[in-house]
Amino acid sequence: MREPAIAVHELRKSFGAKQAVAGIDLEIAAGSFAGLVGPNGAGKTTSLSMMTGLLRPDGGRVLIDGLDVWADPAAAKAIIGVVPAEAQLFERLSGEELLEYAGRLRGLPVAEARGRAGQLLDVLDLTTDAKRLVADYSTGMRKKAALGCALIHNPSVLFLDEPLEGVDPVSADVIRQLLTRFTGSGSTVLFSSHVMELVEQVCDHVSIIDKGHIVATGTTDQVRGGKTLQRAFIDLVGSRAGEGEGLSWLGSSSN
Amino acid sequence: MARLLVQLKLRLLRNALRSSTRAKASFALSTIFAGLVAVGTFTGLALLRGQSTSVDVTAVVFTLFAFGWLMLPLIAFGLDGTLDPATLALYPLRTRPLAVGLLAASATGAWPLANLLGLLGVTVGLASGALGLLTALVAVVLEVLFCITLARFVTTSMAGLLRSRRGKDLAAFLFIPLFALYEVFTQVVPRLAANGKLTTSSFGGVDSWLRWLPPGLAAHAIQDASTGHAGTALLRLALLAAIIIVLGWLWIRALSHALVTADTSTQSSQVRGGKLPLARYGLRGTVAARFWIYQRRDPTALIFWGINAVIMMAVSVSAILGRNPHPGILILSAVFGAAFVGIFHANAVGWTGPPFVLDAMALSNRRTLRAYLSGQNVVIAVIAVPLLTAISFGLALLANFPAYGFLGMAVDLAGIGAALALGNLFTVTMPFPIEKRAGSPIRTTAAGYTSYGVAGTFGNLFGVGLAVAPVIVAIVLTGHAPAAVRMPILVLCAAGYGLLLAWIGVRIAARAAEHKLPELCQVAIRSKL
Repeated sequence: MREPAIAVHELRKSFGAKQAVAGIDLEIAAGSFAGLVGPNGAGKTTSLSMMTGLLRPDGGRVLIDGLDVWADPAAAKAIIGVVPAEAQLFERLSGEELLEYAGRLRGLPVAEARGRAGQLLDVLDLTTDAKRLVADYSTGMRKKAALGCALIHNPSVLFLDEPLEGVDPVSADVIRQLLTRFTGSGSTVLFSSHVMELVEQVCDHVSIIDKGHIVATGTTDQVRGGKTLQRAFIDLVGSRAGEGEGLSWLGSSSN
Repeated sequence: MARLLVQLKLRLLRNALRSSTRAKASFALSTIFAGLVAVGTFTGLALLRGQSTSVDVTAVVFTLFAFGWLMLPLIAFGLDGTLDPATLALYPLRTRPLAVGLLAASATGAWPLANLLGLLGVTVGLASGALGLLTALVAVVLEVLFCITLARFVTTSMAGLLRSRRGKDLAAFLFIPLFALYEVFTQVVPRLAANGKLTTSSFGGVDSWLRWLPPGLAAHAIQDASTGHAGTALLRLALLAAIIIVLGWLWIRALSHALVTADTSTQSSQVRGGKLPLARYGLRGTVAARFWIYQRRDPTALIFWGINAVIMMAVSVSAILGRNPHPGILILSAVFGAAFVGIFHANAVGWTGPPFVLDAMALSNRRTLRAYLSGQNVVIAVIAVPLLTAISFGLALLANFPAYGFLGMAVDLAGIGAALALGNLFTVTMPFPIEKRAGSPIRTTAAGYTSYGVAGTFGNLFGVGLAVAPVIVAIVLTGHAPAAVRMPILVLCAAGYGLLLAWIGVRIAARAAEHKLPELCQVAIRSKL
């Protein structure tokens, strides 16, 4: 049996008295398009940060294609790409310079880095803005540029934290198509999101995290169990909405 | 509307006070400073009584206050919610009541009050007789009103630009002249005054052109009224009032326009070239290429270099202007210049901020970390060596000790090497997040990390001082050697010594950082740039 692209065992992290991630286990098969969903503060970003070597865990193991992220970070980092949640990039570089920089950091030869940067800018619909400073990019353009930086060295596993947050529908579609193409070639994507419809549409594997625990994991069909993913999610983590008794004045029927 | 906006301003001040201990301390210091400025200005203006140049000095002081009102709101644009018309654009407000309200909000606070009270010193220093006194009161009120209206007009006209990335960059650049001005007032003016080179008579005649500017009109109206020229005084005040009305009208027009105009942030220009220079020289060259671009495009980097130059010049003031100038001050200036290179680069990770994660994904071992740190160091050295050397030579020439240019250069070279080493060591051992209040161009140490910032500053000052001590000893011991032999040997040895220190610094820092990358990333992620 082929080993999982991402294997997480007993991963834990606390910040003072607060347990952000409480010993999670996760296995994502190679070629999967996997989603990690959960409410705000559930531990999604903390988990992804530990899986990508950016945050030291209190305990547990993370294996990427069999390479231990914390025992051999150099080897693991070489095969992963990361798009952080806020996509904060080197703002004083142009889009073109940024992607070339990312490629050169990853050890690509100059010509190769420039060539791939040009192709990625083209696919991400950023060619006309390639010479503008990233500081002047919109949120969607920043996310696309960050995705380009994460893909330029052709990683086998890509981690994305809220990749479509604040992104316009056109840019979102570009990102979605690129990611689908990426997983179609056998590479793996794990991304966190709040948007259940998106996860339901594109993911073949879903894990739901709440209060630092994985409360459900499996194929998308297994997790939703005949319901919509939104309904399954609410049933698992519980609805936190108030009844709104104090808003009797709200609405056109009131004054 | 005026009452509501004054309440908003007071609420903003109160909320800022509640936000943190640092905000409280900052508010208390600012209020104390405003009080000192009020007392100092009042006393200074009052002491002009009976002096022949009192009207000239008063005109200069009035003009300086107007200049201050013009400059400071540009920096504080994002900090004062009442300065940006966009924050009020959503509400159904008519322009005129809004303008009155904004004007009232501007006049609220410790600084406008200090401004008013300080300038009232003219009632003692320049005014005489009942008419003079009355004119002085009116002139000061009009001067303050002029300052407020001018500041409002300029900030409102530039609101679109100031909200944009480029406008914020421009506002940040104002720090260099303001810092230089501060140094002039604290270092140059007292020394010139102590030497008798700056007296009230130095201002004689400066009002030949200042008298026609609005602040000059106010000052001269007081003098005219005090010397029995009531008609001229009235005309001057009327002209000043007319200027304020025109400015106010222009401001209201600008306000109506600004309420319905988008900012200019979307109108961005394209960069030239587009390829990374030096990128073909491996990881070191790639990092150097990015860092080099940042030295040109990031206002913070340019501000650092500007302040560095001002500090070196300020330290040398006593050698240039003092009664008994000692050339050793030029060496001290070189030590300070080098130390500040280290201070400004002692937290490279924090200053890089969240994008450091992109770098960190490529940094996997000691070798790559050495390339990363040395790539940045090469760029710093390429800028610092010519800059500090040129300043050392320039200051030595100004102080009439030209040979000390070479000695300063030797200290510069050794000091820059030490500063690079210490900068790297502090970056990896005591990194701290940097934060910026929304809208402000000022970036400061994040709350809870002040001790780290202080340690970096004093560590670099003492560390560089200690590291260049052998060079200074060599300078002293070789004082009798022929200059043609002494200077080149000192400069070459200092350069080699500096290079060695920088090389050792990179190696130790890379070793220290090797197992700390996740922690460095967390610091970088917490920076809010």
